[in-house]
Amino acid sequence: MAFVAVENISKTYNDQGSRIGVPVLRDVSTEIGEGEFVCLMGPSGSGKSTLLTILGAMNHPSQGRLVIDGIDVYALSDERRADFRAQYLGFVFQQHHLMPYLNAIENVMLPLAALPLAAIEKRRRALEVLEKVGLGDKASRLPSQLSGGEQGRLAIARALVNDPPLVLADEPTGTLDTKTGDEIMRIFVELNSRGQTIFMVTHNPANAALAHRVLHIRDGELEWTSDTKEARAELRFNPTL
Amino acid sequence: MRISTIAFANLRRRKGKAFFLVSGIGIGIGTAVALLSLSVSLREEIGSQMDQFGANIVVTPHSDSLALDYGGVSVAGVSFDQHQLSNDDAAGIRRIPYRKRLSVVAPKLLGTVDVDGRRTLVAGVDFASELRLKKWWRLAGRAPESASDVLLGYDVARAASAIEPFPGTSADADKSSAHHSAASEEFRITKERVTIGSREHRIAGVIGQTGGPEDRMVFAQLSQVQDLLGRPGQLSVIEVSALCKDCPVEDIVTQIRKELPHANVSAIQQSVRARAEAVDRLSRFSLVVSAVVLAIGALMVFTTMMSAVVERTKEIGVLRAIGFRRTHIIKGLMIEVVIISAAGGIVGWLAGLLASRLALPYFTEAGAQIELRVSLAVFAIAIAMLTGIVSSVYPVIRASRLDPSEAVRYV
Repeated sequence: MAFVAVENISKTYNDQGSRIGVPVLRDVSTEIGEGEFVCLMGPSGSGKSTLLTILGAMNHPSQGRLVIDGIDVYALSDERRADFRAQYLGFVFQQHHLMPYLNAIENVMLPLAALPLAAIEKRRRALEVLEKVGLGDKASRLPSQLSGGEQGRLAIARALVNDPPLVLADEPTGTLDTKTGDEIMRIFVELNSRGQTIFMVTHNPANAALAHRVLHIRDGELEWTSDTKEARAELRFNPTL
Repeated sequence: MRISTIAFANLRRRKGKAFFLVSGIGIGIGTAVALLSLSVSLREEIGSQMDQFGANIVVTPHSDSLALDYGGVSVAGVSFDQHQLSNDDAAGIRRIPYRKRLSVVAPKLLGTVDVDGRRTLVAGVDFASELRLKKWWRLAGRAPESASDVLLGYDVARAASAIEPFPGTSADADKSSAHHSAASEEFRITKERVTIGSREHRIAGVIGQTGGPEDRMVFAQLSQVQDLLGRPGQLSVIEVSALCKDCPVEDIVTQIRKELPHANVSAIQQSVRARAEAVDRLSRFSLVVSAVVLAIGALMVFTTMMSAVVERTKEIGVLRAIGFRRTHIIKGLMIEVVIISAAGGIVGWLAGLLASRLALPYFTEAGAQIELRVSLAVFAIAIAMLTGIVSSVYPVIRASRLDPSEAVRYV
């Protein structure tokens, strides 16, 4: 049984003041296995972000089911779904979206804020993931005092601190220069090599080539799936990464 | 890291906005505190001024006989009552549970005697009590000291040729003057002694013209008049002043009735009502103004919180995405609101107290003070918090209901 099962999911948005729905996803089905690194590619407006937010348990599909680790996610109440996100998911946003008024370790501890853990335990976990992403010595710095790459790593650390079975990333290198983007992708690859399941939305074929599998979406429909070898060949993967 | 850590960090980050909110709530609470403090002080001053208007409770004996009139109050006939009042009754009034609320108990015995050959109404009084009760009396001379000292009413003094006007002044002039010393400027006492009944008494002073029954009366020591009238220990009327702040006059009347079942006890409703109305109007005015200012403050909190929610849509979306419940969002925002409101309450209380102290001299006469009341501080902070919380409920709930997927679209 797949760790993540997307079953015939459709999503239609209703424009304000209009009764006519705009379909964004059409009957999307796919599976993600435990420890798999899957990328989603597609042009703008194809439904990538919608599918990501549905996988992120925060955007109720109009039709279909999302089952993660045997849990029918959208059968849960809003509050239980929040708990599910806290327990199962780690998010890496495109622009990192770190809290500028919290220092690095406080940003990492954010997902733990509402959990009934001792302060010392929260700190220990946060330091551990900061070390993992190479920011152990910058725990007290504000995000504005970190470079773009360091901010990206900090965002990854925040996504990992609750030890989530599934990490969702929305174009994590989209705003970074190539070198910094490569640095971030290396961390994702390393995480995946240690068994972390990752689902990433990207425009960057080079990033997608690092995944086990690439899903291609167009006009709300999954068009085809390619494996890494195929992608590498097609997209002329940069072997220096 | 707790939800409160995020709230505190947000407050530190948005110092300007926090300061603006604290100031807004502070102004609202400050206005309310200043008005309430002034109103309380004015109530006390009005109460104390009204106290000076005299008795508000009159105790008379049960009687079917025709009454003598004294100060607009029916006083039972002195000779034909079945149940006379006595000195013990005056002592009894001082034993009621609300005795501490009684400012003056003034017993009197009324009768008629010859004063320098003229039949005159004489009142035996306890001068210490009487002079405290009749603060509007303008005395020429001095207050009686010895048992044989008497005070003459203005008309009696004139009839007995005990006074003469100062040269160039008219004794009838300026009747409305409220100055205590004015009387001594209008006339002077020319006689030292007067014969009351068969005894000579020293004229301690003359009461300036009041236009009331006092003008036609002689006031002597109670025990002297009791001897003179042959009615030892007896009283005709007991006047009681219980008009102090927050005095439950009706309850005091009930207690005196219980203590003196054989007496008529009545409150002078007019005085009580006048005071109550004056105080109530003042209180209502303060409450209305305070409510308006607080409503403006609440509106300000509401709009600021609404804009804060819009401003923080992305942040709230991120928090929701990483697993914060709606209740966590509400808790975080409410912690900020409570801290800001409490700070506004403290600032407002201090500002209101200062403002009322500065403003008080313009509203009252010298002597009135603003007391430092802990209850007012607690009230101010509680109202500030209530205002902050109530006006933030909608924005905070709206924030908690932000669709995280919509919020992270900004991402």
